[in-house]
Amino acid sequence: MTRRLMLAAALLLGAALLSGCSHLGVKPWQRDVLARPDMQLGDEALGQALDDHLYFSKEASSGGRSFAGGGCGCN
Amino acid sequence: MSAASVRADDSSADPALPDPDPQRLVDSSLSYYHENGRIMAVEPVVNLSADFGNDETLGINVTFDSLSGSTPNGAIPSTKPQTFATPSGHNLSGVPQTYTTPSGTLGTVTSPIYTTLPGQLPMDPNYQDQRLSISSSYQKPLSRLMRVTMGGDVSYEHDFLSTSVNGALARDYNDKNTTLSVAGNAEFDLVHPIGGSPVPLSDYTLFDKVGNHTKHDLNLIFGLTQVMARRWLSSANLSVDRFSGYLNDPYKIISVVDSGGNVTGYLYENRPNNRTRASAFWENRFGLSRTMIGVSLRYMADDWGIRSDTAQLRLRWWNSDHNKYVEPQLRWYKQTQANFYTPWLTSMTVPSTFASADERLGAFHALTWGLKYAFQYGGDADVGPSELSVRAEYYTQVADNRLPGPGVLQGLDLYPGLQAILCQVEWKFGY
Repeated sequence: MTRRLMLAAALLLGAALLSGCSHLGVKPWQRDVLARPDMQLGDEALGQALDDHLYFSKEASSGGRSFAGGGCGCN
Repeated sequence: MSAASVRADDSSADPALPDPDPQRLVDSSLSYYHENGRIMAVEPVVNLSADFGNDETLGINVTFDSLSGSTPNGAIPSTKPQTFATPSGHNLSGVPQTYTTPSGTLGTVTSPIYTTLPGQLPMDPNYQDQRLSISSSYQKPLSRLMRVTMGGDVSYEHDFLSTSVNGALARDYNDKNTTLSVAGNAEFDLVHPIGGSPVPLSDYTLFDKVGNHTKHDLNLIFGLTQVMARRWLSSANLSVDRFSGYLNDPYKIISVVDSGGNVTGYLYENRPNNRTRASAFWENRFGLSRTMIGVSLRYMADDWGIRSDTAQLRLRWWNSDHNKYVEPQLRWYKQTQANFYTPWLTSMTVPSTFASADERLGAFHALTWGLKYAFQYGGDADVGPSELSVRAEYYTQVADNRLPGPGVLQGLDLYPGLQAILCQVEWKFGY
């Protein structure tokens, strides 16, 4: 299921890029919602780092959202 | 491990808003992590950042971990007591042994040993580690539409040293509704395990160990962030990792059993020296009047045969004054096993190449339930409000592809799984 959604995402964003995104996006005066702190990517940096640490140590996958590294995870 | 200090696609800051005066933000947290019957960890973190306006920022992060408790050594439960040595041990006798120091004097040392009761999962009860990590990042604009970010990270444990540098380049298009980015990270690690690095696939009882090793990681992330609508932001990353060098866990062993299920010995694990991993990550945020909905998906595949799917949902509900919120979170994860993963070996199947019984390389699925509560206070035209929050998570991991053990192992729980709790208190304030 996730793979299909990923494919859909790639197609969606790829189409947006190829079309010049002429029908996507907003005007500068329409950014009120996008300016909210909870709409900023990476708004929960410490909490996300803590979760990434947990998953890096307990699972075979890490990263994707950002870089992952700097530890052995030997526990 | 520490999370990256550089995002490849951090483009969602609103360029239309006036940049505030240079302001500094302190983001600090204290976390407690505990696995059932296993390790516990305490982690204080301080993150200092300064925003100079016009996309110029500087950030410094200091993280300290203290871990202690029990950690699985890779062996399986048995119907009989099993005795192991801690990583610093050199025999299983528990008897003091005499040795000669470099200066010629005689000393004695006792190898610490531990015994696992029948039916119990073998775990080293004396695990202890501390980690100090310092990272920094600096972002500055190259033009009105382009910015560069540079960063670095140093992480030290008493058996591990990691250093990395990273950089990212991002450019806006389409009235800053579209951002393309590319980011790279290079990491160099020095591994110096307690007691030495065991010779791969050697007999555990020989304690055949050698010196230190290194490993490297090169990571590239290509990102696309798109404002889809007034209330919808979408971001996608494609990333490739290339790991090389010593990728074993030096503290993990594999049980060898006979056809009746009796444990006859143990071998140290052996993993390939290279690993290439690719992942696709897609995140969406939807902003409603008092709600933020965050959905992310990730697919990962590597040349060890591991495939994983991850889906995460965050809901943030604000109160009517928009100064308090509750945020439940749910994460689902599933991975297939590495093609050299084996929970045990039989004397007929001792490999000549790669094998590991590390449960983290096995097939399993995991669920995380989380809840966060935060309230904001203060703030003025120059400095945003401070925020105090508490967060709790419950993580469960359940093994898939459970092979029945041979002979007497059939009545034992060979796949106990994992349950863990995580609690975090976080305080953010500007000045």
